[in-house]
Amino acid sequence: MDAWILLPVILPVLAGVILLLSLAFEKRKNGREQPDREPDEARLRSLHRYVIAVLAVSGVLALAVSFSGEHSVTLFELLKGIPVYFHVDDISRLFAAAISVVWLAVAFYSFVYMKHEGKEQRFYGFYLIVYGVLMALSFSGNLVTMYLFYEVTTLTSMPLVLHNGSREAIMAALKYLFYSMCGAYLGLFGIFFLYKYCDTLTFTAGGTLNLELAQGNVTILLIAVFGMLVGFGAKAGMLPLHAWLPAAHPVAPSPASAVLSGVIAKAGVLAIIRVVFYVVGPDFLRGTWVQTAWMTLTLLTVFMGSMMAFREPVFKKRLAYSTVSQVSYILFGLSVLSPVGMTGALLHVVFHMVIKCALFLTAGIFIFQCGETRVEQFRGIGKQMPKTFWCYTFASLALIGIPPASGFISKWYLAQGALEAGVGVFGIVGPAVLLVSALLTAGYLLPITTSGFFPGGIVKHGKAEEHGTGAAVDRNEQKDDGKAANLEPPLAMLLPLAVLAALAILLGLFPNPLIGFAGKIAASVM
Amino acid sequence: MNFANLANNYEEAVAMLLFVIGFSNLLLQKNLIRKIIGLNIMDTAVYLFLALKGYIAGRKAPIVVDGVQSVKAYVNPIPSGLVLTGIVVSVSVSALMLALTIRLYRRYHTLDLDEITTRLKKEGL
Amino acid sequence: MEFVQNFPFFSILLSLFSGPLCSVIGGKAARRVNLAVITVVGAMSAAVLSFTICSGEAYVYLMGHFPAPWGNEIRVGVLEALMALFFCVVMFLSMVGGSLERALEIEAEKENLYYVMVNLLLSSLLALIYTNDLFTAYVFVEINTISACGLIMIRQNGRTIEAATRYMIMSLLGSGLLLLGICFLYDLTGHLLMSNIKEQVQILHGTGDYHIPLLVTVSLMSVGIAIKSALYPFHAWLPDAYGYSTLSSAAILSSLVSKGYIFLLVKIFYRVIGFDIVRDSKIVNILFAFGVVGMIMGSVSAIKEGNIRRMIAYSSVAQIGYIYMGFGIGTTAGVIASLYHILSHAATKSLLFVAASGITDASGDSTSFFDLTGAGYRNKLAGVAFTVGSLSMVGFPMFSGFISKLLFAQAAVDSAYYKMLPALIALALSTILNAVYFMKTVIRIYTPVDREEVQRRGFRKVTFVDQKAKSAALVCFIVLNMALGLCSEPVVRLLREGLSLFA
Repeated sequence: MDAWILLPVILPVLAGVILLLSLAFEKRKNGREQPDREPDEARLRSLHRYVIAVLAVSGVLALAVSFSGEHSVTLFELLKGIPVYFHVDDISRLFAAAISVVWLAVAFYSFVYMKHEGKEQRFYGFYLIVYGVLMALSFSGNLVTMYLFYEVTTLTSMPLVLHNGSREAIMAALKYLFYSMCGAYLGLFGIFFLYKYCDTLTFTAGGTLNLELAQGNVTILLIAVFGMLVGFGAKAGMLPLHAWLPAAHPVAPSPASAVLSGVIAKAGVLAIIRVVFYVVGPDFLRGTWVQTAWMTLTLLTVFMGSMMAFREPVFKKRLAYSTVSQVSYILFGLSVLSPVGMTGALLHVVFHMVIKCALFLTAGIFIFQCGETRVEQFRGIGKQMPKTFWCYTFASLALIGIPPASGFISKWYLAQGALEAGVGVFGIVGPAVLLVSALLTAGYLLPITTSGFFPGGIVKHGKAEEHGTGAAVDRNEQKDDGKAANLEPPLAMLLPLAVLAALAILLGLFPNPLIGFAGKIAASVM
Repeated sequence: MNFANLANNYEEAVAMLLFVIGFSNLLLQKNLIRKIIGLNIMDTAVYLFLALKGYIAGRKAPIVVDGVQSVKAYVNPIPSGLVLTGIVVSVSVSALMLALTIRLYRRYHTLDLDEITTRLKKEGL
Repeated sequence: MEFVQNFPFFSILLSLFSGPLCSVIGGKAARRVNLAVITVVGAMSAAVLSFTICSGEAYVYLMGHFPAPWGNEIRVGVLEALMALFFCVVMFLSMVGGSLERALEIEAEKENLYYVMVNLLLSSLLALIYTNDLFTAYVFVEINTISACGLIMIRQNGRTIEAATRYMIMSLLGSGLLLLGICFLYDLTGHLLMSNIKEQVQILHGTGDYHIPLLVTVSLMSVGIAIKSALYPFHAWLPDAYGYSTLSSAAILSSLVSKGYIFLLVKIFYRVIGFDIVRDSKIVNILFAFGVVGMIMGSVSAIKEGNIRRMIAYSSVAQIGYIYMGFGIGTTAGVIASLYHILSHAATKSLLFVAASGITDASGDSTSFFDLTGAGYRNKLAGVAFTVGSLSMVGFPMFSGFISKLLFAQAAVDSAYYKMLPALIALALSTILNAVYFMKTVIRIYTPVDREEVQRRGFRKVTFVDQKAKSAALVCFIVLNMALGLCSEPVVRLLREGLSLFA
């Protein structure tokens, strides 16, 4: 028994619950007189210290758990033969490490950002809880445990979307909840079938499907597996259950959309990896209609997501559609069921996590500093916040896949995987779609850079406090009244962004350890 | 179908017929009093059936007056006991139903349950 | 014979005689007597449960001095004791949780009568659980009906009287059919004790005699009990009865009364007829069909409902559908799933009723959906409790509803194709429909409203201290629910063990 591997799960969850509880009790104590008292600086600072301390300790613990050999622990039996079981394997390591790094960076960033959203304590309460739950999800050792924490992820991350309590936020959160839950139930019904036809639901590289039992029930099993793919695909934004992403991201506070898009969408990917490669087994699916349908769906999503992003004027929505498209890159890499494709998919998981978080952080800076959300407002903004904009540009380049940035490596592997997987026409169509989508990615990300640095005229952006949203364009008309203000955000916001952007490039420059690791995982399951 | 059996067991047939009459009255009548009458017919039918089953022609009730005779001389007393118990139950149930009916009639001056429902909807309760 | 073995008999008698006792003492004293009786009965059931678990077998307890074919008997096994214990717990919590409403809604001089009814209800439930005699079961079914009717109409308004009348009519139809079925069985086998009937039925089944009368008998009894427990097309009385009666009545009716009948049905299937014969008779298929339809239609009606109490009531219709669907699958796994769902639904539904009343307290006592906006902030504990109950109903992991869904689905997957597909589809559909209306409500009660609006409407904040009894009950319900959801394995093992003792 290695019960201590649950520490990185329990610690943040407990810490988050304590935050929420103390909030509730405090409100009760002095709530009647002044219900929404603004928290003072000192209090905020101690709150930040607390959050960072908890995240750092549990991050270190998570890394320690991940890289200190094989661990497993059985908590208790949920039902006969269905224990709540945790096991650390390579996939867990990959996800836990990447999530920890990104989570910490976004936390740093949010300290400043959340000042203008308010209700910090509640936000950080849930932020910590979601981290713990995601760790539990990564360490889950069987399908039912994973399902359990998958649902809990949905539930605990919903308050992040709900944060500002506006009508749109509530509708978006509802949408998120419905899509995720409906998807999860599709997954659950698949689990029932797998329970019957598999030797065990414990994750085993290469799958545990009992082929003798499955004989004669192949059709029903395939339907079940397809249901699971679609269901868990909801969280990953795969067609047809993708619509929650563009609704939920714009209303959430930027740090929340960063982790929703960068990390929580990956929970769907993790679930699909576990189902396909660790329970059902890739051999069972290879060459069936399920594989074909899956590939078609992912390619459609890749293309459609890019198209929608291209046409979308609201920056955060554009990024959300981009997530829809990019996560389906990952799923496409998985769907070809070849080791190289899977390597590419796993690489893209990490890269996209880093890059998309960086992009959402810049979106947050635009909102925080200038109150601007629409793409056409960003003209000339690069001159006033060059550092931020350079980070944005690097992250965009990485997402598009320009060598030597990180996106290039993963997309290379994805295309290679598709070509050599022997999936017939998809071997050609897949890479072609990926290429077109990459062009579209360039089309929706780079114009912001160009018009941001080269506005073709004098455009000045004011601080967010001075004017409402969208006022920058009016400033065009005004006389040039001196030097444009420096809108560079505080260091606490810039630094995490710079780190993530640098990671996006550096991971592309020195990809070999990661490729080796991903390759090892891929080789172990196929 | 063997109608001879039906004729031989005419008592049971009558009991079943009564049961159906009572049941459908209880279910279909709109008037509450008629429903209660239906209830009583239904219950009586069951007791008739039980009593029939408990009686064997030519035997006596097991009331020992002049010494115990052979077992064959008596009928089983349990069905009669059941009928008595059943009657008690149905009396109390009928009483409750009648009390409810009185309550409803005092409030709405009608015995028609559907009518009462529509009025309740109008009251918006 | 151990002294513990007397306890089932004691608990029936105790609750039976405390009923009349309550009618001659004042309201407050009656309340204390009632709570004490429930506690004592619960404790005795717990003792019996531990005794039967240790001895590992069921025992028969003679009532009076007559041996088997003539006398009346009580039969106690693990399942019976478990049910009795659980019913006592839920009843206790419902009574505690609804005490505030009772004080408001029941005329003060009639309050003691309410406890008469509750005590009688408890005794009839216990008798239904323990008895080994079919006719005794019938008599207590009627007592159950009458006391339940009293529980509905103790809060005097037009709706409750009308609901009570409808309830009586449907119940009487059901018990008429049940009684006829019992008489047929008596006629066929010559016995009233369940074990003796079963022997005879097995012989009859073996020889093939009286095949059709046996079939008619089983269907009469099944349909009778189905009507009484508000299976889908017979549910017209239910929303009014649950929606307008006083809180503890609604909680008890929804979670216990219908479950008592269902438990009787399980007894009839296993102890009187034999489950193999029931399965072969195709009657389970009819129950299955009605259960599946009920699962969907109940949820659809709940979605259309604008009154939160009635919405929860309609959700009961769907849940009863689940239980019958489990029987209808016709395997032991299905029956165990249904039994588990009886427990899970009893724990969840009474939680929901109590939580909903807490929410309406914070919304000017309006049950209409629109007024509940933001109530979760005004009464925090009730909001959390309602969320827990909703999640459990939707089948969220960690709560009891998830386990019962898991069990149902496992049972369905292992059954024949023509049952597996409808069952799974109905489960999926019903889950999503559940999510629609419960999540809608949860979001509604957590939607913020302006402070001015709240003040203008005169909504008050309700805190833990204001409603100690209700809050304590809510906390206990939440704990019970999570205990069932997280530590289900021992419970399921007990159910399985108890069911095997049944045969």
